[in-house]
Amino acid sequence: MPIQGLEILQSSASLRGQPSALRKTPFLSKYIDTTTCIGCKACEVACQEWNDLPSVPTKQTGTYQTIPSLHPQYWNLILFNEVEVEGNFEWLHRKDQCMHCADPGCLKACPAPGAIVQYTNGTVDVNPEQCIGCRLCETGCPFNVPRFSEKTGKMAKCTLCVDRTTVGLEPACVKSCPTGCLHFGTKEDMVAMGQERVAQLKARGYAGAGLYDPPGVGGTNVVTVLKHADRPEIYGLPANPTVPATVRLSKGPLHWLGLAAMAGTILGLVGHYLRFGPRVGRKSASSSPPAEPPAAPSAPDASRRTDR
Amino acid sequence: MTAPLPRPATRSSASGPESTGDPAILAARTQDDIVVGDRLVRFRWRTRALHWGVALTFLLSLLTGLPIWTPILGWLAYLVGGLQVARWLHPWAGVAFSALLFLQVIEWARQMRMTPADRRFVRLRSFVAYMRWQAHDEEVGKFNGGQKLLFWLSALAALGLLLTGVVLWFPGLFGEGLRQASWLLHDVTFILFTLLIIGHIYLGIVEPGTYGAMIHGTVSRDWARLNHPAWYRDLTRER
Repeated sequence: MPIQGLEILQSSASLRGQPSALRKTPFLSKYIDTTTCIGCKACEVACQEWNDLPSVPTKQTGTYQTIPSLHPQYWNLILFNEVEVEGNFEWLHRKDQCMHCADPGCLKACPAPGAIVQYTNGTVDVNPEQCIGCRLCETGCPFNVPRFSEKTGKMAKCTLCVDRTTVGLEPACVKSCPTGCLHFGTKEDMVAMGQERVAQLKARGYAGAGLYDPPGVGGTNVVTVLKHADRPEIYGLPANPTVPATVRLSKGPLHWLGLAAMAGTILGLVGHYLRFGPRVGRKSASSSPPAEPPAAPSAPDASRRTDR
Repeated sequence: MTAPLPRPATRSSASGPESTGDPAILAARTQDDIVVGDRLVRFRWRTRALHWGVALTFLLSLLTGLPIWTPILGWLAYLVGGLQVARWLHPWAGVAFSALLFLQVIEWARQMRMTPADRRFVRLRSFVAYMRWQAHDEEVGKFNGGQKLLFWLSALAALGLLLTGVVLWFPGLFGEGLRQASWLLHDVTFILFTLLIIGHIYLGIVEPGTYGAMIHGTVSRDWARLNHPAWYRDLTRER
């Protein structure tokens, strides 16, 4: 549900948001350090509790991971990736959730006015009341985050606990984290913290360490420290996520071109009617075939330029 | 071509001696391609019912699809009860449209084969001349080349819209690439098809007597001679 006290920077299917630009709000971001995550799932529990989400049935499939992937009732999931890196087995935990892109593909794809909004603090929120359940946001999102609920017919995802952050609290997951691998603050501070941590990791020999803040979507308001940032795919993260070109084309140039073509065709036909009027056949008194033009059958252009 | 059926005033007597209906219209309930008095029956009831079924379900699909396509036309959603209703109705309207168009293909496919005269008709030069009301081709049969082309393009568009629409309807069953491609194709196809239909509606109403063929099913001799001379000759054995 959109938060009343926050100004909206951009809104789905709307020409613009309503920022009054009277206040200056910095982007607020979540910091995730995957290298200090111990996979305790306290954040999962906190998320379920704060957002009043009933838990979902789980199945033992030989992994520590709670469920295979995000779920309309499960917005925060620790992925337990088991991968081999340079001959060594590694257990790479990653907190999977909405990345709160600066350029959100879900919002761009959404046809329902106000169903997806981005506040001036950068948080991307959903408004179930406006959501029409078309699932186009799923195609717009490069991170495969939005989940459609068959139960409600609406989309659901992490809200970055905007109902907490707007009153000065940190998100529930951050509050619950026992190792301090989660932090919350301005984007600037979180990026600085991330870079510090990356430098530390590099000094310890992790040459591929880095901060995942992909520029293809304008950066994200969830910045993630990765030990192997040179290979984000092993964490289940796209290497260079962007809003799909087809979505940008459909919602951008193609959409304007289509509208112009339809309006142009209608106007053109009005012009045609004014210029040529109705097509009226010659009245023939008898039932005999027309003796008049065109004398020769199948000479379509025989009578050109006689309309003036 | 179609052999003309025995020239009836006979058909009108079927509805009883007291009938005061137009004999040609009464005949058009079950028969077409016949001459009744000074009228020619162009489309029997079944053909017209199918056409309007296709037309109305297309308009409903368009009406419910446009507000989802662009917020500029979002107000159209109120005609069906809001965007939520439009989203719920759109796929079903689309399925109904595709199904009815499929029946229409069965009804018309044989009559819609392109002849050399039809190919001549749809050439740009001759089509421009037609739009300037200057073209006349004695070889044009029951349907002209433009109508036949529209028919086949409609069938193609309906198939494309149905297939891409199913992908958009059940995105969970399909991969990312297919979903993206379907979205783009659904948009492109519907835009092009809508342009065609705008032209089709215009040509259907711009000439007195044309829409009557799709409403009560009959046309005048003059109209037939002007627009579909070969069809006229076939039915009347004139010339």
